[in-house]
Amino acid sequence: MAISRRNVLLGSAGALGAASFSFPKPAIAQSEPIKIGCLAAITGPSSAPTVGFNRGINFAVENLNAAGGVKGRKIELVMRDTQGDPTKAVNATQELISQAKVHAIWGPFNSGEALATTPIMGRAKIPDIHPCVVESLIDTKKYPNAFRMAPSNSQWDDAVRNYCLNVLKVKKVAVIGDTTGYGVTAVGASVAAFKKDGADVVYQANIDATQPDMTPDMLRAKNVGSEAIVVWSVTTGMEARMFNTRAAMGWDVPFVGHPSLASGELAGLVEKPENWKKVYAIGYKSCSYDASGKLPPKSEELVARLAKANVSLNDTLLWWVAGGIDAIELIAKAVAESGSTESAGIVKYWNTLSKYPGYFGTYTFTPTQHNGYPTEEIVMSEASTAKNGTFALAPGYT
Amino acid sequence: MLTSILASGLAAGAIYALVGVTYNTMFSTSRVMSFTAGQLAMLGGVLGSMFTLKLGLPIIVGFVLTLAACAIVGIITEFVAVRPVLKSLDQHLYVLSTLALALMIQQVAAIKWGTEPQPFPRVIGLGSGVWDEKFWLPVVACAVTIVGLEYLYRRTLVGRAFVAIAEDNFAARALGLPERNLRIASYALAGVIGGIAGFSGGQLLLAFFANGALLNFYGFVPVALGGLGNNRGAIVGGLALGLFQQAANFLVGGIFSSVAVFTLFIVVLLAAPQGLFGGTTARRV
Repeated sequence: MAISRRNVLLGSAGALGAASFSFPKPAIAQSEPIKIGCLAAITGPSSAPTVGFNRGINFAVENLNAAGGVKGRKIELVMRDTQGDPTKAVNATQELISQAKVHAIWGPFNSGEALATTPIMGRAKIPDIHPCVVESLIDTKKYPNAFRMAPSNSQWDDAVRNYCLNVLKVKKVAVIGDTTGYGVTAVGASVAAFKKDGADVVYQANIDATQPDMTPDMLRAKNVGSEAIVVWSVTTGMEARMFNTRAAMGWDVPFVGHPSLASGELAGLVEKPENWKKVYAIGYKSCSYDASGKLPPKSEELVARLAKANVSLNDTLLWWVAGGIDAIELIAKAVAESGSTESAGIVKYWNTLSKYPGYFGTYTFTPTQHNGYPTEEIVMSEASTAKNGTFALAPGYT
Repeated sequence: MLTSILASGLAAGAIYALVGVTYNTMFSTSRVMSFTAGQLAMLGGVLGSMFTLKLGLPIIVGFVLTLAACAIVGIITEFVAVRPVLKSLDQHLYVLSTLALALMIQQVAAIKWGTEPQPFPRVIGLGSGVWDEKFWLPVVACAVTIVGLEYLYRRTLVGRAFVAIAEDNFAARALGLPERNLRIASYALAGVIGGIAGFSGGQLLLAFFANGALLNFYGFVPVALGGLGNNRGAIVGGLALGLFQQAANFLVGGIFSSVAVFTLFIVVLLAAPQGLFGGTTARRV
């Protein structure tokens, strides 16, 4: 058959026309699993939170997948062990983004790692949700894709100060930390905030955590009339020595501060169990039981579901498990509502969340505020009352 | 306040002194400053707690096993970190090899034991307040160790052989003394002394992997103050360091007390570079 110029023109026009219509996307994109990368310190010295978080995320993923997934798409966890090491966390992040091609990332779980990984995720525009406390990790201009679903350092500070000044109603406080970078920074910020609120900071110190005897500092704090001692340290050895010294001095001043004041290891380090009384550690409303031993109803329901699914709570903290569940559900909800696993859609959905009722907290995010955890849900707990990962509310709460 | 300074100052000082003696014991037969001394003391606390609290063994059995384990670590130090560098002592390669081994010991302790301090049991159960055994036990342990060492060095053949090696290595070998075996034995002895330091100070310092670096540091100060290889100097220097440190804790506070300690250290070394009890050595020209 001879090919005429007319046929060529018609064929070309047809081809151009066909090309201008979009082809339907392959069905595979709509059925492929939603890949969630997890940067977890599974091994190493800072692996304790991961145990709890992982129980929560596995529980959430199993439940969501058993219910048919998110609009028919299963959730797939892509777990990487960072060992709590920023270098390994950076490598794992790059691998999750470029090789595993995850749609969102949960973690890492400590601020040292997050300081290294957040800029990488920012450049790749990967939606990231994490529980790390350092303030600078949340910056909606530099890292519009990074969201925090746990309190920041300053929120902890606010909660401790509020408890001292408004619940214990003390005016003279001593603020003590260890000599680590965290301890020095936290003590400085805490002292400034107490002074701003009109409190009298009568004693301020950073103590070497290996100092064998705490009598000098405790004596100085007592002599200047401290009515409460605020502690910013993660070193249980130092904390136990302070409790023991207080008892030896026959002083009944309350300790208020960092969550590590409630660490289970302290039970073996205090000379007598009563030395650990009148110690109030940062806790959370959702994970604190009242005088009758009851958690808030939503938490009671979660604990019952966890028990039914054989998820143990006796060697971890409820907030870690609940936080893990919330992280997965927030990602799943974002995919469901935005209709895709596109980064922009997930971030846009999270930015609209107002009082989203999670198990750990009630989260609110806006385009200019990615600190999602409400300060009013941070409470003080009786440090020595751990029961299945929960604590008794400190005195003064109704 | 004074009683508190004396109680905790002497206790900490006795531990520092024992670590100083550990340094000296290893130095005397090898001319090597082994930076595993503090780690041996750390192991004394960690292993003591493991044998007695975790494994539930009687205190005396736990004590003996701890010392035996520390002696083995001392011997391993000699084989791994000291012997290979003895031929090039003037290059000071032992600093690198012993520090590397010290780091390895610390990391293994952190991985196997955990990074949080663990409790140490009551050993005898006597005393309270400033007379609590956590304060007097290290002092007693230090005194007993010194008496034992004096007896060993002055009254026994093995002890005299140690002294001979320390005094003049070449002459001792010429006399037929088994220098290598004596060196191994001195490292085992150093392990035992380090173990005693850690075990007796366990209640004060707790069983904590990070104590190793701390004791390496504060154990070295009395050695430098008292004169290298001089046990009497290490004891006086250690006790003085403990008392000064605790007094500084009371008077100027935690961070500044470390500054005060090292200011004094530098001043003493500027005034007496050979240490307060060290003799001046003739330099070959």
